Amino acid sequence: MKNKIKVYRAMHDLSQEALAQKMGVTRQTILAIEHGKYDPSLILAAKIAKLFNVRIDDVFLLDTLEE
Amino acid sequence: MKRNYFYLFVAAVAFIEVVIFSVSVDIVDPLPSVLAIILGILGIYFVRMHLDEVIEDERTQKITEITALRTLQISWVGLFLFALWIIIEALGEEFRHFNRPLGIFGFRLLAILAGIIVLYVALSIYYNKKYGV
Repeated sequence: MKNKIKVYRAMHDLSQEALAQKMGVTRQTILAIEHGKYDPSLILAAKIAKLFNVRIDDVFLLDTLEE
Repeated sequence: MKRNYFYLFVAAVAFIEVVIFSVSVDIVDPLPSVLAIILGILGIYFVRMHLDEVIEDERTQKITEITALRTLQISWVGLFLFALWIIIEALGEEFRHFNRPLGIFGFRLLAILAGIIVLYVALSIYYNKKYGV
């Protein structure tokens, strides 16, 4: 699963720590998601998309080859 | 309380527990150790409730789940092999000199391992019903 969290974070001028705090997760979790090492739950993905005011599939992209 | 102070607190509690345990062994009285463990757990639980930062989320829970399962699997296989080895040792050469206390220990260990499987299946059925249809 690929994602554009880093891009949206930059657009909203949010650090990893600030995003983690808003989402109620650790900074390491945001880092792991950004690096593609951890796929977030549907709830967390929805919360991130809602924060950036976009749809989930604008932030998270299913890598069909990988899946 | 900040996360790092929490980890320092846990380390301090662990150190104090070790000291109390060694004193407890010296005076041949288990009461201080038992009290220290209970107070330590309560103290860590209380401090953890007052943390400012998140230390557990869905990723850490997933890590805990996988770690717990792997630990259970490895421990189970290790203890099973150990129990078999104990029983073979207890049987002695050509099964003539059965070491009864050692054999009983081996069979009890096997019974505990069987109990773990029963518990695992029971919990598996429970959670399947809870999160299934």
